[in-house]
Amino acid sequence: MQHASPAPAGSSPVVELRGLHKSFGALEVLKGISFAAREGQVISLIGSSGSGKSTLLRCINMLEIPDRGDVLIDGEAIKLRGTGASRQIADEAQLRRIRSELGMVFQSFNLWAHMTVLQNVMEVPLVVQGRQRDEVEMEARAMLDKVGIGSKTDAYPSQLSGGQQQRAAIARALCINPRVMLFDEPTSALDPELEVEVLRVIKVLADEGRSMVLVTHDMEFARSVSDWVIFLHQGRIEEEGTPDDVFGATKSARLRQFLNAANHT
Amino acid sequence: MIEDIGFWFSYLTNGKHLTWYASFQFTIFAALMGGALAVIFGLAGATMKNSRFMPLRLVGSIYSSIVRGVPDVLFFLFFPLAFEQAVEWVVATQVCSPEAIAAQTAAWPPCREANWFLGTTEYLLLASVSLGLVYGAFATNVIHGALRSVPAGQLEAARAYGMSHSQVLWRIHVRQMWVYALPGLSNVWMLIIKATSLLSLLQIADIVLWADRLGAPNFLPAVGLVHEDWRWRYYLVLFVFYILVTWLSEKGFEAIMRRVGKGILSEARA
Repeated sequence: MQHASPAPAGSSPVVELRGLHKSFGALEVLKGISFAAREGQVISLIGSSGSGKSTLLRCINMLEIPDRGDVLIDGEAIKLRGTGASRQIADEAQLRRIRSELGMVFQSFNLWAHMTVLQNVMEVPLVVQGRQRDEVEMEARAMLDKVGIGSKTDAYPSQLSGGQQQRAAIARALCINPRVMLFDEPTSALDPELEVEVLRVIKVLADEGRSMVLVTHDMEFARSVSDWVIFLHQGRIEEEGTPDDVFGATKSARLRQFLNAANHT
Repeated sequence: MIEDIGFWFSYLTNGKHLTWYASFQFTIFAALMGGALAVIFGLAGATMKNSRFMPLRLVGSIYSSIVRGVPDVLFFLFFPLAFEQAVEWVVATQVCSPEAIAAQTAAWPPCREANWFLGTTEYLLLASVSLGLVYGAFATNVIHGALRSVPAGQLEAARAYGMSHSQVLWRIHVRQMWVYALPGLSNVWMLIIKATSLLSLLQIADIVLWADRLGAPNFLPAVGLVHEDWRWRYYLVLFVFYILVTWLSEKGFEAIMRRVGKGILSEARA
């Protein structure tokens, strides 16, 4: 697949952020962030808590609406109107279409509790994308097999371990055939022994050449899985580069300090 | 002995008793219809209370706070009468000629053509709507609270995957809300069942009215069996009826709870 291959000249990045600003009340969380993810690229966002990395990720699918700046998916800007804190979605239909191609995986899984695992995975393809049931069910079962919980299709989320739930959530994201996958600290709510199984699945997806933006506190994992690492500090990009550069030849003193602290926890 | 049984059988199946038995349908109809309307009004009220649009929010809040405070007996008397006269007033503005108004001797309605005669069916419907309105205000509060209990993350996930507002509302939010609403709604349902004993206030010959009539002492052989005051026996039958309904309702709510609680309630595990 297209892993780490440069995008063909002229094609748009899968995700592009231009000058994002976001404040919650008086607190300015994002202070002008821009980056672009090419097809097949895995970008990790790292930084201490409160650095704005989750907010940034949530701006990509407009779970948070940025006060300033634009988000482009495949070169198409998500339409917003108004300014500052009162900025809102200008075109709900456009946003729904774009959202149905962004596979988000949450820290707390957020599987729908009243549906079985299989129903969770089939819901969006059937209801939002309007695809054929037979085709979707086949694909959903294949995805659940792929993440290693093919035997749990009829279980409810509450009957699964955290690691199994998160893998089901990843299958849910995969089954929409996402243009890009967004991971918001996917292993933070898991016990260490369950973390491994989820990380292994994400690694497989990265190696397949899926485009991903990943918020993580796991430096070792960020290093092994990413094509590009972005270190956020107080709402700004403090340092970015290839994993080897960012972790091996750290330039910023703040990043060095952060990595030291992360290593000791 | 056989004769005794034969006598009591024919007494308990005489015309008046059969009418009494038939009148149970009014009570059951009013309860079911009132209950369904209460849930519908409750859903409407709760969504209004959650609305992003200020005036709707206000209507929802006023409805749930004011109507809950009005005594149900009073509302039962007020609403059907007010509704009837409002309809008559509207009709009167259309059909009453000045001559007809001049010819009318009674204070109300304005002319004879505007008179709306209400039979048992109409009163029953009005009674159901009254029940729905009064207990819908309670249901509004119950459902409003239940909607807030649904984990926000699951709603966010639905939005993040491109579901529309109404898809999020009906497929995730309302669907999961029932688990939190049912205990409260079962209380509301029991109150509705109790309130059906007020049907006789609306000149519906319901089970309470008939129990009263049949149990009243009779000293005239021409009218029927001569007996003293038997009302308590008839009331006892009503007690048993209401207890039976309560028991059935409990069973019903348990079954619904098992269904909507699948995956959400811990009892549904294993």
